[in-house]
Amino acid sequence: MSRKFDETVHFKINAEKDNYIKDVLENVYESLTEKGYNPVNQLVGYIISGDPAYITSYNDARNQIKKIDRNELVEELLTKYMEK
Amino acid sequence: MEKIIINGGKKLSGSVKVSGSKNAVLPIIIASILAEGESVINDVPDLTDVHILKDILTELGAKVDFKNNIFRIDTKGINTWEASYESINKMRASVLVMGPLLAKFGRARVAMPGGCAIGTRPIDLHLKGFESLGAKISLEQGFVSATSEKGLTAGKIYLDFPSVGATENIMMAAVLAEGTTTIENAAEEPEIVDLANFLNSMGGNVKGAGTNVIKITGVKKLKGAEHTVIPDRIEAGTYLIAGAVTGSCITIENVISHHIKPVIAKLRDCGIEIEENDSSLTIKKIDGIKATDIKTMPYPGFPTDMQSVFSVLMCIAEGTSIVTETVFENRFMHIDELKRMGANVKIEGKSSVIEGVDKLSGCQVKATDLRAGAALILAGLISEGKTEVFDVYHIFRGYENIIEKFQKLGADIVHEKY
Repeated sequence: MSRKFDETVHFKINAEKDNYIKDVLENVYESLTEKGYNPVNQLVGYIISGDPAYITSYNDARNQIKKIDRNELVEELLTKYMEK
Repeated sequence: MEKIIINGGKKLSGSVKVSGSKNAVLPIIIASILAEGESVINDVPDLTDVHILKDILTELGAKVDFKNNIFRIDTKGINTWEASYESINKMRASVLVMGPLLAKFGRARVAMPGGCAIGTRPIDLHLKGFESLGAKISLEQGFVSATSEKGLTAGKIYLDFPSVGATENIMMAAVLAEGTTTIENAAEEPEIVDLANFLNSMGGNVKGAGTNVIKITGVKKLKGAEHTVIPDRIEAGTYLIAGAVTGSCITIENVISHHIKPVIAKLRDCGIEIEENDSSLTIKKIDGIKATDIKTMPYPGFPTDMQSVFSVLMCIAEGTSIVTETVFENRFMHIDELKRMGANVKIEGKSSVIEGVDKLSGCQVKATDLRAGAALILAGLISEGKTEVFDVYHIFRGYENIIEKFQKLGADIVHEKY
């Protein structure tokens, strides 16, 4: 066996959820861009404050992001960022 | 003179669409002073206060067009930094022109606002903020002047109280100041977030709005922008409580439910079943109304603007409720009118103790301020007989098409001139 027993093993048990979060983030990002906002600033504002007013209602972006738990959103972003 | 006449006792049905937020739109329109070029604001409610602001900005030299809930403003022609006593006296929120004028011209002179019906609401925190940005403040002959000949520079400001107006005014002044300004203990209201969104879409750099620490990094100039105002959370709460108090399963559309969480939570405590959908709220079931206590707090606490309206619900709840007002010192003026309609209420310091009664009865009452007026309309909807509400100009300052909206829901309500 090449993998050591004390190594953390990552299981993708909820790939569907990951994909859903990715799809929503992409739509929100595009919608904010189309409406002339800086999408990163707006998303950071939403994650930090929890206020949906940061996200445009255009393209249903606000409703979509509200359906994702903010903790899960941050977990997903951190996980992706730390992936080698 | 105008009055609103309500024949009570009718159930409501159907749905009502909430308008754009009054408390968000006024500072956003004022912020457009900062831009070079035209701004377009969508979903602007057709309210007396918006028309007053339109006149004030025109007086300052702006070109303004307001129709079909779209407000277009070109501020290139603004050539004065002074807001007259007449302007400030007509609408308190116009004191917010001070921050943008100071940022744009390096000076501003506005009449000191006097007290208002619900409390003193001083502007000392606004001035403290401007001083932190390097402005010199002076008071003379009823006017307050702020000057900063070399332009504003960033500062660190701790607000003694999370004042919405002070937070907005300082944000607007700091957006063109040199460096990064920090506002601590800032107000966290959704209207602050909406203003930050507008400033950022004009090219500003505002971060942290919606939390109690806001950082504003100054930019050289701002451009005109298009913006859609958030829905009015107080109007949404008013119609939700109207449904609850009349025992009606109605739907409130165009709502960000996150913004009225405390109102929804308290209605659920009363035993009212509410369904939250994407951008609407529906009352599903009302099986009696249980009394509950409320205490007004800055956002995200229970909003002071909903206190009078919620009190009407408590007037007919089962049991005793205590409503405590901690934000403004003079916000129980509706209670005397409700007592005339048969409510059983005692005021003890900052609290009103409400013993629920079986019914209210219609009579002639006076709206003493905007939210008190809305409360009296709701009281009229559940009263036996006819209620006549006078001094209704207060109500039209903050509720767009309130008569038509209640008529659409099935209420027997008319607006009459006499």
